[in-house]
Amino acid sequence: MTSVIVDNNLHIWLKELAEKYILIAPVTSDGVTLFKHVKAPEVGSIDLQFLNTAVSPKGYFFPLSETIFSIGVERGDVIAPMNADAEVVIFGIRPCDAAGIALIDRVFLAEPVDISYKGKRDRTILIGLACNTPSPECFCTSVGGGPANPMYLDIMLTHTPSGYIVQAITGKGKELTPVTMVEEKDVPSPPTPRIAAIPMEGVREIMRRNFDSPYWDRVADRCIHCNICSYVCPCCYCFDIRDYAGKDKIDRVRSWESCQSAGFTRIAGGHDPRPTKGARLRQRWYHKLLYYPTLFGDIKCTGCGRCVRSCPVNIDIREIIMDVQKLNV
Amino acid sequence: MCSLSAANPFIPYPATVTGVLDLTPDIKLFTVELTDPEQRENFDYRPGQFAFVSAYGVGEGPYGIASLAERKTGLEFAVRRVGTVTRALHELEPGATLGIRGPYGNWFPMEDYRGKNILIIGGGIGMAPLRPVIHYVLDHRSDYSGLTIVNGARSPRELVFSDEYDLWAEPAQCKLELCVDRGDDEWQGRVALVPQVVSELRPSPDNTVAIICGPPIMIRFVLAGLKELGFSPAQIVTTLEQKMKCGIGKCARCNVGDKYVCKDGPVFTFEQILNFIEQF
Repeated sequence: MTSVIVDNNLHIWLKELAEKYILIAPVTSDGVTLFKHVKAPEVGSIDLQFLNTAVSPKGYFFPLSETIFSIGVERGDVIAPMNADAEVVIFGIRPCDAAGIALIDRVFLAEPVDISYKGKRDRTILIGLACNTPSPECFCTSVGGGPANPMYLDIMLTHTPSGYIVQAITGKGKELTPVTMVEEKDVPSPPTPRIAAIPMEGVREIMRRNFDSPYWDRVADRCIHCNICSYVCPCCYCFDIRDYAGKDKIDRVRSWESCQSAGFTRIAGGHDPRPTKGARLRQRWYHKLLYYPTLFGDIKCTGCGRCVRSCPVNIDIREIIMDVQKLNV
Repeated sequence: MCSLSAANPFIPYPATVTGVLDLTPDIKLFTVELTDPEQRENFDYRPGQFAFVSAYGVGEGPYGIASLAERKTGLEFAVRRVGTVTRALHELEPGATLGIRGPYGNWFPMEDYRGKNILIIGGGIGMAPLRPVIHYVLDHRSDYSGLTIVNGARSPRELVFSDEYDLWAEPAQCKLELCVDRGDDEWQGRVALVPQVVSELRPSPDNTVAIICGPPIMIRFVLAGLKELGFSPAQIVTTLEQKMKCGIGKCARCNVGDKYVCKDGPVFTFEQILNFIEQF
């Protein structure tokens, strides 16, 4: 027997969630699906048929831009930012995006803990939605994930013709499960969708040996360093810190940044260890496929395919991985 | 405010500039005291560590701490005017307030060097993070064998810490070699590049640790010279400079391969550096 919530009950549950929590869910408008704050869900206002959102929900933990603290101009006193304490439910997050957040956790929750990130992380519940129809660019199964991978979620939902299968994964998830709306039924899980596999064998070792290969410059030749790959990535977390001086206070602001920006590593005085597009693009792949795995064990890529979809010059990480294997020198 | 700083690693300690000294036409030595006595007492640091200095409204940057904690002089930073934050810092006068967070990074393991000959090689502002090493060796002089310092700059006016040379080079304490790329009318000393002076000096690698800091080009040639003299990469130590924003291993900017200069460094032996996949 499986716990199932039928469509009508799901709608009631979503309304309840929106009353008790800040409900973040996929909303499609003008053909673009994004996670948005849904205050009063109507039937159809939350898109449950979406492939994946254009941007991952990492911004709910690590905002595009946030004031870390401010300094009063007159007294020089530290003003801590107003921290919202309302609990957040992210509904409909795909397993790959939950995995992306887990990859950022390893860095931001390591000592010394990034308290702004941790605060938001602790206040957020992740209700995932398994992928029955992956996108053509998806390759999660090649990088340790899967379309129905419940890891890193609090609750996992799987759509079937008879309703949504509900699996509580964590204690938090159990508490949140709407027991009165859930029915115990004999509902088979939908067939696991087929996702093309990218061969990953030996990639780390080959990359270690081919750092100085001319391949990296060649493939970066068409890169226009627009940074969209970092922007849409569910696990890119490079950031910048800047001061914005106002009349009464100075804000110290942390914002997303990309290792693809020209000057990302240029120090005052002009020295830049990564002055070329090739060196910067190489850094992106080496961080994902070699450095992070060396430090933490896992590949820093969830196979969501967003960078593949978004790149204006068709640079495709799957192609890079396959090309790397041919470099084998 | 104390608890805030303890909780949020990005919030600096409030501090006051207590001294400003012109070291060269574009390098100033700032002495800084943390405002809170408890924070001042707890700010313990070792030779080679760095801290972020905030010029509020402009930004913050990482600087090697140029003072030795045991001397209780206050925190000293040698800052060259090269960018927006350093320009703003150069405007500060005694009494000005700023923010300090740190200390960050690893340090020169001075205890491990006991009984050894210390060879210090610095170029330009690269002498700043080596100054606490010099002070440490001078203050524990009997713990170490020979002390040789090679200090170079582009011109005589650009030699840093020149008011201390007499103290460093008191008889039998240390051998001090100064050199400049280009002399001027008054300069009586050597006109030579640092790597050249090192190679001519022929320091023995026996029981010696070489500690070097300077522009990458100087490091490259000094390294080649030391290798020729028989130094092994394990007995050559340096401190690296990379672009940093956070100082705590999160912003993903200062990595050289899989090493983060802010938390795995900035102090590395060349044995470690030779294993880096990436150039710095």
